[in-house]
Amino acid sequence: MYGYLGIDVGSVSTNLVMMGEDGAVKHSIYLRTRGKPIEAVQAGLKMMKSALPSKIQVAGVGTTGSGRHLAGVITGADIIKNEITTHAIAASNVVPGVQTILEIGGQDSKIIILRNGVVADFAMNTVCAAGTGSFLDQQAFRLNIGIEEFGPLALQARVPVRIAGRCAVFAESDMIHKQQMGYNVEDILAGLCEALVRNYLNNVGKGKEILGPVVFQGGVAANAGMKRAFEKALETEVIIPPYFNVMGALGAALLAREATSRKKTDFYGFEVAEKDFKAGGFACDGCPNICEVVEITESDRVIARWGDRCGRWSDVLEQKEKIS
Amino acid sequence: MTVKVGIPRALLYYYFYPQWLSFFQHLDVEPVVSHRTTRGLLEKGLRSTVDEACLPVKLAVGHVLDLKDRVDYLFLPRLVSMARREYICPKFLGFPDMVRNTIDHLPPVIDINLDLYHKRSNAYNFFQTLGKMFTKNPARIYLAYRASCQAHGNYCKELESGALPGELKTLANSNGKNGGMADITIAVIGHPYNIYDRFISMDMIKRLFESGVNVVTADHLADSVIRQEAGKLPKQLFWTLNQRMIGAAYHYFNDPEIHGLIHVASFGCGPDSMTGELIERFARSRSTKPLLVLTLDEHTGEAGIVTRLEAFLDMVRWRRNLADVAATL
Repeated sequence: MYGYLGIDVGSVSTNLVMMGEDGAVKHSIYLRTRGKPIEAVQAGLKMMKSALPSKIQVAGVGTTGSGRHLAGVITGADIIKNEITTHAIAASNVVPGVQTILEIGGQDSKIIILRNGVVADFAMNTVCAAGTGSFLDQQAFRLNIGIEEFGPLALQARVPVRIAGRCAVFAESDMIHKQQMGYNVEDILAGLCEALVRNYLNNVGKGKEILGPVVFQGGVAANAGMKRAFEKALETEVIIPPYFNVMGALGAALLAREATSRKKTDFYGFEVAEKDFKAGGFACDGCPNICEVVEITESDRVIARWGDRCGRWSDVLEQKEKIS
Repeated sequence: MTVKVGIPRALLYYYFYPQWLSFFQHLDVEPVVSHRTTRGLLEKGLRSTVDEACLPVKLAVGHVLDLKDRVDYLFLPRLVSMARREYICPKFLGFPDMVRNTIDHLPPVIDINLDLYHKRSNAYNFFQTLGKMFTKNPARIYLAYRASCQAHGNYCKELESGALPGELKTLANSNGKNGGMADITIAVIGHPYNIYDRFISMDMIKRLFESGVNVVTADHLADSVIRQEAGKLPKQLFWTLNQRMIGAAYHYFNDPEIHGLIHVASFGCGPDSMTGELIERFARSRSTKPLLVLTLDEHTGEAGIVTRLEAFLDMVRWRRNLADVAATL
């Protein structure tokens, strides 16, 4: 039995998906990255191995997310793809005919417009992280509410409070103000969801034609309050796919299946989880650019370098590999 | 000893350098160009510029700082207008004053006006005043002026035939030698000092070459084409550079050889925010071509631009393949 592994290393979460040949998800894992992407990938691989029947064989690996190159180097990925493409591929496989994808993750949010099954336009948030998972996390913590309770509580709201959503910092002070005025928590939470949706539609979704079916994915889609706020603002049904929080990884697995259709996988095996990887870095002093070079070592052997603009460090490595 | 005149590798350097080089050389003046942009150079510029200035101006100040201690004069012409009834951005106009008021111990600054706004104005006045600073012989100035015009004309012709300015030229050629690997053509629309500066653009053009993309820019089009296309606007834009961007974008949107467009704006640029909107509206209402809008700022993290470029190229190729399939049906 063959399986395809997709790994999505994001800023907040690291997700792994094992997909069967038919495209069905066999097992999915959602972990917090906690600032240590290599360890998160290794932990995920360990969990994946113990959860799978031993007869399954990995036929392809794909990585995505902001840590995709890192994950790709340590696992020997067959394909390393950006998160916009993987999210689009996963959504159009799970919900055929999807025309709009709303994706809100830990640190960034994006909108992807598809027409006739092909990406027609996309946008990502720029420097502003208002309306992403991290902000909701923080506010839930501040109100002493578990992030899991956030959604159900917001759904109980009767009159959502109007909160300024232009900026996370202002939203927070506005929220505190409303709370001190005596509004109840449910209404504030629902108001917060609506503010974030407004901010998302004005910033990320600016000028985009949002047509149904609309799919909402990414970690924030777990929040039922956000789903309802989107439905209210867009006046259309919003679909949350069953594996909404690992869609990036699923897309990577789908691409890995395509990439290995005519070749064998480069996957190093689940032993990768036991290896000793270190990520180090140094500032190159070759020129005034002072590039921050990242160096990945496996038991004191340098396996990858990047971050230098001129190729002084990364090219040397490639040459060595070619010779040996 | 020859006199050294410093020219910052910024702003309209990418447009006028061959002309200025030729003029100075004919007067036995040695032009000195600042070094290529590096992080150190940009940081110097950021530290010594007022907060409100846009990124390209801050960068240009960095280039001035790089030059000031090794030249006899700084050549910072006050570019008011490059064509009749058109203007250059006011930040260019004020640039010599901004430099003089924020940087100490400057060599003498040459800030002659180049103003072609009015009917009877011409570029010769500018070069005449400039030449008089280095020679008393009016015939020599005239000959140098003629040669510089020729150099500028040749440079424009070279660009129109598909070359890229400066060091990017060799990049493009080496790419071509590798057997024409490029399978798609993308038009990069942006100010020359953003898209041709390899540091500020995070080497966008090289990245595109390496991803198998042919790159065209506004400078590959004849001026007349650009003006005709920009003339489709209900009211003429009075910024020369933005008019070039709009005209080129309109042209490339209608060019079947072009698979997609990238609009590059710089953070804090007023005119860019407006041309960006005009181009986006055109893309949405009258074209089916993919458009990517990138805003450059002083970020040095490359992940953001890499992710967007990759996703954009995936999208362009995906759509092109679909169109190819449709054509064979």
